Amino acid sequence: MIVANVHKFKVFLIECLHKGIMLILVFVIASVVIFTAVNLIPGDPVSLRLKNPDPTRVAAIRTELGLNKPLPHQYFYYVISFVQGNWGKSLITGQKVREEISTYFPATIELALIALFLGVILGLGVTLSTQCFKSTLWRNTAFSLGALGLTVPIFWLGFMFIVIGSLWLGWFPSGGRFDFTLPVPQGSGFLIFDSLAAGRLDLLCVTYQYLALPVFCLSLYPAALVCNVLKTRFADPRLDTLIRALRAKGLSESRIWLIHILRLLSAPVITVIGTNFGTLLCGAVLTESVFSWPGMGRYLIEAVLNRDLFVIENGLLLIIILAFLIISTADLLAFRLNPTMKSLSD
Amino acid sequence: MNTVLYLNAYLRCMSGFIIIFLQIFILGGCSQIDESVSPPNTFVFGRGSDAQKLDPADIDDGESVNTLAQICEGLVRFKSGTLDIQPWLARSYTISKDGLTYTFELREGVRFHDGTPLNAETALFTFKRQLDNSHPAHFSKASFQYWKNLFQEIKTVRAIGPMSLEFKLSEPNASILYSLATFPAWLISPMAFESHGEAIVRRPIGTGPYRFLDWKPNQAIILEKNQDYWGSEAGFERLIMRTIPDNTLRLLELKAGKIHALDGLQPAELTELDDNRKFTIHTQPGMNIGYLAFSSYAKRLRSPAIRHAIAMAIDRKAIVDLALDGFAKVAEYPIPPGFLGEPINSRPPIIHDPEAARKILNKYPKLLEQPIELHTFTAPRPYFPDPLIIASLIRSDLENVNLKVEIISRDFKSHLITARQGNFELALLGWSGDNGDPDNFLATFFASWAAVAGSATNISFYKNKDMDNLLITGRQQTDLKQRQKTYRQALMIWARDLPLIPLIHTKQIVVTRSEVTGFQLQKTANLFFGPISWQSL
Repeated sequence: MIVANVHKFKVFLIECLHKGIMLILVFVIASVVIFTAVNLIPGDPVSLRLKNPDPTRVAAIRTELGLNKPLPHQYFYYVISFVQGNWGKSLITGQKVREEISTYFPATIELALIALFLGVILGLGVTLSTQCFKSTLWRNTAFSLGALGLTVPIFWLGFMFIVIGSLWLGWFPSGGRFDFTLPVPQGSGFLIFDSLAAGRLDLLCVTYQYLALPVFCLSLYPAALVCNVLKTRFADPRLDTLIRALRAKGLSESRIWLIHILRLLSAPVITVIGTNFGTLLCGAVLTESVFSWPGMGRYLIEAVLNRDLFVIENGLLLIIILAFLIISTADLLAFRLNPTMKSLSD
Repeated sequence: MNTVLYLNAYLRCMSGFIIIFLQIFILGGCSQIDESVSPPNTFVFGRGSDAQKLDPADIDDGESVNTLAQICEGLVRFKSGTLDIQPWLARSYTISKDGLTYTFELREGVRFHDGTPLNAETALFTFKRQLDNSHPAHFSKASFQYWKNLFQEIKTVRAIGPMSLEFKLSEPNASILYSLATFPAWLISPMAFESHGEAIVRRPIGTGPYRFLDWKPNQAIILEKNQDYWGSEAGFERLIMRTIPDNTLRLLELKAGKIHALDGLQPAELTELDDNRKFTIHTQPGMNIGYLAFSSYAKRLRSPAIRHAIAMAIDRKAIVDLALDGFAKVAEYPIPPGFLGEPINSRPPIIHDPEAARKILNKYPKLLEQPIELHTFTAPRPYFPDPLIIASLIRSDLENVNLKVEIISRDFKSHLITARQGNFELALLGWSGDNGDPDNFLATFFASWAAVAGSATNISFYKNKDMDNLLITGRQQTDLKQRQKTYRQALMIWARDLPLIPLIHTKQIVVTRSEVTGFQLQKTANLFFGPISWQSL
């Protein structure tokens, strides 16, 4: 038993090491690609931000920013300062990129996490319900709804939500993150947290109100993913046998479902969510655009359109590293939950 | 049997989640905002983008300027709705006979929002930091572009008394007084720099009717009434400038009563509001111009005859009607109407005559073989709400005179790169005026010193000694009649060589709720919300 555990741990450690090396590789490749791309874009970001640029002043600012140094020097400076967390200042707003990211990041995370959570619940719910009511009609309806999440573009879906939820029903605001005629809860930048911490249920209510449509819109994609994964799992006849066996063992229903089956099902769910996290972020960008959500997606798109050099370089790299970390963590988690997965997939 | 078991399990698993889910929706629906608007103590303005930074000396985007217009004020200002100079934070001003010394007597009893009193010493800060490269507030990464362009003749600024400020010029510049009314010369508190350092670009402290409170980037800038204001009191306790990028959503928010005014709508989108008494549409010709430039580097189009033919082929009236729904005016000259130097009662230099154009162009058979590249951009700008449609209208006009045209469309910044390199044959671009002076347009378009590859505003790369001389003379003349003559001559040279074809002057559009009173559009396109208030209908 102990030997087996030690072996399991060893395999896990190797897996971790593997991911670590991958991380370094991803970092190097991503930083090189971003840096080259940014430098291949024609035009000078400093003069482009001005309506009426003065060549001598532009040259002085370029020197000040270190843009006249040789490219390899600039690249190493970029990588080192990224690691040190010294991400420079936005050319457009003059604010530190780190501070800007710390205002936009919570908005995106709040949106993405709640949407992910809701998506998993929706997916789980729909799949379980198809198991309860074994009607083909309901089953087909449910799964075509799932297909909706995968195929319908978010900008259209989002707009429909606005038309229905905001224009017809008038229940929800059509965009934005908060009603600024009210006092904004201060603190971490996560408005749910902050309004709870301030003990203001009315503000929490407003926060929910603004979250509802974008969250629901974004959650359809993970919901569809979860549906698709679970569908195949439930189709497996061995699941029935397992449930029957556990029941025969005398375990309570909640124990069977909440501990054994959920655990069994969670590994593939976590993997599929993890590996599709990039697409989820992509969806978040679109959702942010549709609902005027002040998050990282809109921030980075505007940075690219404005040639905001340091924001593009550091913001993109940060997102890539984060996405990789999340995907790897999901992998490792799934691996922990079900160590045989790797050998199976091999 | 199995079905029952699954159902049981499903309900068990889901009950908790369902409660949370329902909660979100019930809570969501619970606190609806009442649509009927009682006199609000907060005025909310919706616009397409957020301000970039709030340092008057280092901005050029309308959103930043319009935010600062509530917070900061200058020594002089444009009298509301006109281009006449009115003393403002200065009680009076005098100009020496040689036009080299300007003296301003400051108003007593004015305080910045941080309590700092306005006097010659504190007013000096705003100008010194732009003029003096070694000033601690001359931030190394700030462009101070307007100082170079509008105020370059200012040699020294000093306090000559507790309340008097003196500007010495290196040579006379007739437009300097007008430039001092524009935003780069709006005053900010020196104490703010003492206490906040470089962060003042995010938290401006001026003397205006509203004071800065908070900025949620890409969402809203929140201002509150300046209780200590020297002029007439602001009409609202709070003023919020909200960013709502999508035009349709912005309009929805206006209709829902969540914002009280907005700008940045396309003319076509106004039809929805036409018969609605709840809203007032404010519109007025703007101080801007959208034009079509010929690059001097495009060899095929160098001959003025060809340029005139192309100009004659373009139906600018159709552009106004089709692309702008009438919310524009055909541009006859490369300066906005009513500007000094505009010829009056003379025959317009460009007349739409495709027949004559065809005749001229037929003499250049080679030109008709290869398509001409027409460069344009995708996102709307104040002078071209829909540049793609304008480009395609021009293409059909030119095809009508047998020219082949290829439209090349890019995002605005990429287009700007091409334009500022002169790397095109035809390009659409525009300019919004800063100070109401013809020099601000003509020197921008035709001066040889504005034709430096990479940063050119003279994107035609038009270089002509006579033109340069006239522009320099115009700057130095103080006599209005003589200046007018100089600029008329400059316009004649333009009409002869035609380095660019002026197309349209678009109208500014701001929609407010009808309860909002006291709002007036400005020639400079700045939005001043200080005088507005709410009058229930």
